[in-house]
Amino acid sequence: MAELPQAVRGFWVTFATMFKKVVTEQYPEDSHKYPTQPRFHGRHQLNRWADGLEKCVGCELCAWACPADAILVEGASNTDEERFSPGERYGRVYQINYARCIFCGLCIEACPTRALTMTNAFELAEDNRASLIYEKQDLLAPLLAGMQLPPHDMVPGTTEQDYYANRVKGPAAVEGEVQS
Amino acid sequence: MTISDQTLERMRELASRYPQPRSALLPMLHLVQSVDGEVTTDGINACAEVLGISPAEVTGVSTFYTMYKRKPVGEHHIGVCVNTLCGLLGGDAVYDALSERLGVGHNEPTADGKFSLERIECQAACTHAPVMTVDWEFIDDVTPAAAVDVVDRLERGEQVLSTRGPAIRTFQATEHTLAFPDDGLAGEGTSVDDKMLAGLRYAKEHNMSAPAHGQEA
Amino acid sequence: MTENTTTEIVPTVSVTIDGVALQVPKGTLAIRAAEMIGVEIPRFCDHPLLEPVAACRACLIEVEGMPKPQPACAQVVGEGMTIRTQQSSEVAKDAQEGVMEFLLINHPLDCPVCDKGGECPLQNQAMSAGRGESRFEGEKRTFDKPINVSAQILLDRERCVSCARCTRFADQIAGDPMIELLERGAQQQVGTASDEPFDSYFSGNTVQICPVGALTSAAYRFRSRPFDLVSVPTTCEHCASGCSLRTDYRRGVVTRRLAWDSPEVNEEWNCDKGRFAFAYLAEGRITTPLVREDGELRPASWPEAIDVAARGLAAAGSRTGVLTGGRLTQEDAYGYAKFARAVLGTDSIDFRARATSPEETQFLRAAVAGAPIGVTYTALEQAPFVLLVGFEPEDESPIVFLRLRKARTRVVSVGAVATRGLDKMGGELLAALPGQEAAALRDLPADIRAALEQPGAVILAGERIAASAGAPSAVSTLAASTGAALAWVPRRAGERGALDAGALAGLLPGGRPLIDAQARAQVAAIWGIDTAALPGLPGLSGDDLLTSASRVGLSALLVAGVDPVDLPDPALALRAVDTAAFVVALDHHHSAVTERADVVLPVALVTEKSGTFLDWEGRPRPFGQVFKDALTMSDATVLGMIASAIGTSAGAWDVNGIRRELTALGPWQGARAVVPGVQPQAAAGAGFRLASWRELLDAGVLQEGEPFLAATARPSAAIVSAAAAARLGSPATVTVTGPAGSVTLPLEVGAVLDDVVFVPMHSSECSIYRDLGARIGTAVDVTAGGAA
Repeated sequence: MAELPQAVRGFWVTFATMFKKVVTEQYPEDSHKYPTQPRFHGRHQLNRWADGLEKCVGCELCAWACPADAILVEGASNTDEERFSPGERYGRVYQINYARCIFCGLCIEACPTRALTMTNAFELAEDNRASLIYEKQDLLAPLLAGMQLPPHDMVPGTTEQDYYANRVKGPAAVEGEVQS
Repeated sequence: MTISDQTLERMRELASRYPQPRSALLPMLHLVQSVDGEVTTDGINACAEVLGISPAEVTGVSTFYTMYKRKPVGEHHIGVCVNTLCGLLGGDAVYDALSERLGVGHNEPTADGKFSLERIECQAACTHAPVMTVDWEFIDDVTPAAAVDVVDRLERGEQVLSTRGPAIRTFQATEHTLAFPDDGLAGEGTSVDDKMLAGLRYAKEHNMSAPAHGQEA
Repeated sequence: MTENTTTEIVPTVSVTIDGVALQVPKGTLAIRAAEMIGVEIPRFCDHPLLEPVAACRACLIEVEGMPKPQPACAQVVGEGMTIRTQQSSEVAKDAQEGVMEFLLINHPLDCPVCDKGGECPLQNQAMSAGRGESRFEGEKRTFDKPINVSAQILLDRERCVSCARCTRFADQIAGDPMIELLERGAQQQVGTASDEPFDSYFSGNTVQICPVGALTSAAYRFRSRPFDLVSVPTTCEHCASGCSLRTDYRRGVVTRRLAWDSPEVNEEWNCDKGRFAFAYLAEGRITTPLVREDGELRPASWPEAIDVAARGLAAAGSRTGVLTGGRLTQEDAYGYAKFARAVLGTDSIDFRARATSPEETQFLRAAVAGAPIGVTYTALEQAPFVLLVGFEPEDESPIVFLRLRKARTRVVSVGAVATRGLDKMGGELLAALPGQEAAALRDLPADIRAALEQPGAVILAGERIAASAGAPSAVSTLAASTGAALAWVPRRAGERGALDAGALAGLLPGGRPLIDAQARAQVAAIWGIDTAALPGLPGLSGDDLLTSASRVGLSALLVAGVDPVDLPDPALALRAVDTAAFVVALDHHHSAVTERADVVLPVALVTEKSGTFLDWEGRPRPFGQVFKDALTMSDATVLGMIASAIGTSAGAWDVNGIRRELTALGPWQGARAVVPGVQPQAAAGAGFRLASWRELLDAGVLQEGEPFLAATARPSAAIVSAAAAARLGSPATVTVTGPAGSVTLPLEVGAVLDDVVFVPMHSSECSIYRDLGARIGTAVDVTAGGAA
């Protein structure tokens, strides 16, 4: 080997590598082959109860917990005419600034109603800062089957406690004994 | 019902009996019940005006004591003691029997407004347990059957006597006596009988006395 | 007043707390004694300004020789007492933790949605003095929530720990025991009588002192959390009481105001107007300068607007009238005072947007302007006797009311109405028909005169003495002849400051007479102008100024924050604005004046500038800027820009520069104007005499946008005596007819003199100036009924 010209020795490395196992992941073409870990900290989601009402009560504990000051919440009162969540209070404004978020998950731990969780979605690149501020409508979970878009009333005959105890299973379905 | 000028005058009379007029509030509220059958908002406002205190303060007092009723009671108000001794000796059964006979529960009047029923606390008449009261007059050593019988007789309009003597009148009439205990009726009947003094007699015979303060019995 | 506080020798007792021996004044409560050595005992019901009640039991301590733990908030320390707190006693610690556990049994775990969460004494002390784990496994007691104890105050009963702070405040401080503890046992709850809501002028304080989130305000409910608020200490702009406030804002919007601690002024309280009336700050601002072109106002650039204003004002020069309103800071009022004299050469300036009289003008020049602090809140508290003239403290200066009530001073009010406020102070009425107070003061009963001769006696004269011929003269004379101290209590926050700044015809800053050569020289030197440039003779003020303007006597008007409906002749004011050839308005909100102005210049609100209000004592109440990045300019800064466009600089126009000039000038030490000597006038005309004043909560522009507050205002009514009501046939409503029109109001019977009818001066239902064309003391017709 020592007699071979330097250039050939150099190309040998390249040549030999061609027969090694490929570790490069082809993104975005092959991204489906390599899913994130199940507990990956991705984009947030604002969850809903089974009838579509929002779980967020606008308490701002997520914003308080946030070390990066990325969350802004403003609460407001539900009314009988316009109800977004069970109980008295809902989050009228909900913003997460993904230019600031460090995906630490402290907001998730702070949330008293499990309204805020993290998804595995990580494709958050934008070409401008303004688009990185996600509003409430960007963060709300999609309406699953049986859910209705708020504002709407609570399931008839239920109280907010029934929601928190997870006894409401759909727009009209209630499990177990409700407190009324 | 509105408070008449005559009632207001009687309220002022009550207020004038005390160095602090406010002390007259309790009899005044009884007076309101004797006129209106319950402590009405008008009655509260009248008491407040006469005493120069606020309606909220009168409301505080009138909701604190259970003998003041903020909802209408029957013509006859029946109480059954359900505290420990009366309850164990049959008070609960008496209450249930009356509740079934009248078709009402705690602090509810019958549909015809004739009776109302209440679970009451100790009346200091444990000697004669179980006791019930009709318009605050005692029916001692009562049984479910005797209690229902009292109701039956009152419903028929018969005169019923307390086991201690006085004739049972109406809730409002008794309330008037509570407002004006000097009407000559307050002392009616037996207040102390032989059975009540049995314990005292026994203690004296055996030379018993209460332990001194701070000393273990 | 401070000098005699040190002379008293307070007896002390020796006490040992947690092994620390200390001497405390006799009568000290154990909880305060412990604070002196830095031991904080948990507490809910304890409040230094309320009587001890020992309702919550959170402060249990061990006292040697006593069989059971004692509440530290009600335990007065005795000589030689040995106290052990939770720091050194297991018994005390166990007792406190046990009480905390009990208090939390029925308390809901709704801290995330509770307005108190984050600043809650229960939350904090549950962490610091509780066990952390509850052994309670039952169902918590619940109530319907929230319920309205008033339109503004909401009650969540399940959060309540029955500490009785709110009910004690209502009874002991405000004198409005409209809330009380109802029911008993587990059902014990705060409540009102069934038909009387908690419509107290001071109800908001209960929200602030509630140690849990049981009482909240409709205005702040769910508006934000304490941890995202920025707090700035400020001074209330609503009246001359001079309350310290804390203004909390979030993202450029004021979310709430709290009473802030100021022991010498408002202690820890304020009124509901100061607390809740701030919605106007955020709504309906004028955002750009406006210039009239072809009869229409159009937005203009600052340079253009300043240029137009400068040319118009320079053309009018000394024939300009300046109306500053009563809400300016002292610095801004000084700006107008200087602008008028040094730049325009006019002395026609008046800060009073209310009823005035030449007699009052002279009284203010002689007795108030530039005077040092004389009567203080403390002096009121210590006074043996206080005489009120043309002044209803609860409506017109609520903190004065609280202090007089606290002191239990003997109070006599010269007037026609024995008000609820007077009753709560335990005061007496000295009958005087509206406008006839001077006669009553002249013929004062001997006992009242004797009471005034006691050392420390005080006469408080309100802004309504201006509406009573001879009253300013009479109070001056009475003060001089009895030796009683005299204080003038204006209603608006800016009046005293404006007076001392020289925003009144005939007065230069510091109470200097315009006609005094030495005073002129001092002022001209500070302003850097020639003495001769100052106006030579006192200008017009009050009604004369407006009358002159309405007859083309004045060719320009410079107006700041004046609402014509506040003036006794609104039509005259509008005519003056219409007639004047050139009108410049500096304001933050549109008004009837800005609509008619030729140039409108937007100025800063109190939250956007720093400044000083002088309260009625004359005490400076400086405040800082809340919104530091506000782009708006104060009135004085804008005037400075106009001045330099005209070509006169005349010293400083920024707030710090103005403060330096005011300090350099100081108060006037020389001869003052003589007090007026106007004789009482007999009443003219027959019929009911109109008594009236501005109620605390009314249709004032600074209260706009706050419906919950407005709903707690006293309902408008025409109040007459029982005899007068009977004469009218006791109708449900009456029609009050004045020279210009009539209003129909519910009839109320009150402690009013016969032949007097009280009508609120400017409520949402009626304005006596606008609707009746009547002034205080005018004879009006009152007839039964009429279309409501």
